[in-house]
Amino acid sequence: MEMVHARPVTLIQVAGLRKVFRKPEKAPGLRGSLRHLLQRRFSEHVAVDGIDLSVAQGEAVAYVGPNGAGKSTTVKMLSGILVPTAGQVLVDGLVPYRARVENARRVGVVFGQRTQLWWDLPVRDSLELLRDMHGLGAARYRETLARLDDVLGLADLLPVVARKLSLGQRMRADLAAALLHEPRIVYLDEPTIGLDIAVKDRVRSFVRRLVADGTTVMLTTHDLADIEDICRRIVIIDAGRVVYDGDLQSVKDTHVRERSMSFELAAGLPGVDRIAARLPGAQVRAGSDDRELTVTFDRMTLGAREVLAAVLAEAEIVDMHIDEPAIETVVRKVYAGQLRPEPDGGVDRETVS
Amino acid sequence: MTFVTAGAVPLPADTRSRRIRAYRSMARMALKSLLAYQTSFLFGMLASAFGVLSMLYLWRSALAAGPRQGFDWPQMKAYLLVAFVVGSLVSSYTDYRMANRIQQGDVAMDLVRPVDYQWSRLAESVGFAVYEAGTAIVVVLAAAAIFGGMPPPDRDTVPLFILSALLVLPLRFGIVYLSGLLVFWTQNYVGVQAARIALITLFSGALVPLAFLPEWMRVIATYLPFVGMASTPALLYTGSLDGSDATTAVLVQAAWAVALWWLARLMWSAAARKLTVHGG
Repeated sequence: MEMVHARPVTLIQVAGLRKVFRKPEKAPGLRGSLRHLLQRRFSEHVAVDGIDLSVAQGEAVAYVGPNGAGKSTTVKMLSGILVPTAGQVLVDGLVPYRARVENARRVGVVFGQRTQLWWDLPVRDSLELLRDMHGLGAARYRETLARLDDVLGLADLLPVVARKLSLGQRMRADLAAALLHEPRIVYLDEPTIGLDIAVKDRVRSFVRRLVADGTTVMLTTHDLADIEDICRRIVIIDAGRVVYDGDLQSVKDTHVRERSMSFELAAGLPGVDRIAARLPGAQVRAGSDDRELTVTFDRMTLGAREVLAAVLAEAEIVDMHIDEPAIETVVRKVYAGQLRPEPDGGVDRETVS
Repeated sequence: MTFVTAGAVPLPADTRSRRIRAYRSMARMALKSLLAYQTSFLFGMLASAFGVLSMLYLWRSALAAGPRQGFDWPQMKAYLLVAFVVGSLVSSYTDYRMANRIQQGDVAMDLVRPVDYQWSRLAESVGFAVYEAGTAIVVVLAAAAIFGGMPPPDRDTVPLFILSALLVLPLRFGIVYLSGLLVFWTQNYVGVQAARIALITLFSGALVPLAFLPEWMRVIATYLPFVGMASTPALLYTGSLDGSDATTAVLVQAAWAVALWWLARLMWSAAARKLTVHGG
C-alpha cells in the first residue's frame, strides 16, 4: 500500500484481511442432528475477503455496505474481538487480537446493538468500573465525565439501572462508557440504530465534535445521513471486499452524475416540449400542477447554467433548487451490484485532501 | 472546548496496580449486581437449605444404629455442613452468565475491556462467593441449631483445613469456567451444565462421602479434581484425614487448581479462534 506524502501518521493499517466462519452443516430434524454427530460437515462463509485499508490519525472514515457485507466483522477484528483467518492488522502499532488488553486501552468501541454497560447496575457504577479498569485518576475522571455530561446530558442517567434506560438514553450512556478513557481511536458500529431524529442529531453532533478534536473515527452505519454529517472519506464494501475507497464528494461526482433542478414558475406552462427541445438528453417533467417543473440531466453533458438558460427562455422563474446527489444513490448502486472492484483487484482509490 | 486531542493524553504504562484495581472493582460490582437479584438468590438458597435438611434427617436415621464406614452421626453432620458451605461457592452464576454472553455474542463487549477475560471471570466469582459463603453460613448455623450443634474442627488439622477450604474457590472456578467455555463447541449449555453438576455431586463426596462408594470409584475419585471441592476440606474438618494423607490431599487440590487454570488458558486460545459474533 503506498503512502501519500501529505498524510500524517497512519493509525490503522490493514492488509489482505480475511475472516472465514465455519458453520456446521446439519440436515433438518433429529436424523440430521444425529448424522452430524457422526459425520461432521461444515460450510465455510467468507465474511471478510481480503481487505486493505489504511486510516490516518484524525481521519473520519465511513465504512458502509449492505447487510452481511463484513463491516462489523472488520470492526471486530480491528478491536481485537475476532482473530483474523489471514492478513495483517495493525492499530496504533499493535496487533489487536494479540495485544487485546493493551489495544482496548487505546480504542473506544460502540456497538449500537449491544451495550458495554453492566445491565444490573446504575450507569454511574458502570462508569466507575470502567474508570478503575482504565486506571483513571479521580481528577481526570471527574473532568472527563463533566465534559461528556455537557454534550451527552448524562446527569439524569447516572443513577438509573442500565436495563431501565430507553434506547436513546442507553446510547448516550454507551458513548460515555466508550469515551471515558479518551481513546485515540473510536469505532462506532451503527451508533444511531433505532434512535429518534432528535437523539440522532445529538449523537451526530457529538461525533462531529470528537472528529474536530482530532480523534480518529471509523463509523459503520446504514444511516447515510450519519455519513454525510460526519465523514469526508467513505469506504464501501460488499461481499467482504472493498469496492470503493475515497473522498465522499468524488464518489458522488463519479458515480452520481444525475442531477435534477426543480423550478416554480410565475405562470402555468402549456407544455414542456419547448424546453425539452432546448435540452437534448435531459428529462423534463411537469410537476403536480403546471407551474412546477423538474429537469433531470447528466452533469457531464449539461451544466446547471444551460438548464437555467433554457427554462428562462421559455418561462418566468419564481423559485428553484438543485437536488444534491445523495450518497444513498451511490450505495444503492453498490447494493444493486453496479459497482464492482476494478479487474486488477485494486480499487479506485483517491487521495483524501 | 476540546474533548480528546489525539496524543495529548499520553497513555500511562500498564501497571500491576491498574490491573489489581480493575479486578477488585469487578469483584465488588459482581457482589453488588447479585444483591439486585437477592430474592431469586434467596429462593435458590432456600431450595438448597431444604436439600441439606433432608440429607441430615436421612443420615441421622441411617447412623442411629451406630457408625458406618468410620462416620458417626456428629462427624457426618459436620462433614455434610462443611461440604455444603464450600459447595455453595462459585455456583452457577459464573458459567451461566458466561455461556449466555458467549451464545448471544455479548462476549464481544467483554473483549473490548482492557482486562484479561479469565481473571475478570475469577474476580466476579470471588465477588459472588462472598455472598454465597455468607448465606451458606447462615443456613448452616440454622441447621446446626436444629440438629443440636456442630462439633468444632479437629485441632490438629485446622491450618490445613483453612488452606483446603480456600483452595476450593480456584478449584471450583476452574471446573465451572472450563465447562462454561465448552459452549463454544456445543452451542447449547444446559446439557453441559447438568453434566458438570452431576460429576461434581458424585465425585466430590458432597452427597455421599466417598468412603461409601465402591473401591474402584473411590480410587478414581482420589485423583480427580472434584475430590478437593467438598470431601477434602470436610474430612480435614472432622479430622478423618490426617498425617501425610492430609498433606497429599491438599497438594492434590493445589495441583489441580493450577492445572485447571492453565488448561482453561489453552482452551480459551482455541475458543477465541472459534468465536463467531453474529450481527452488530
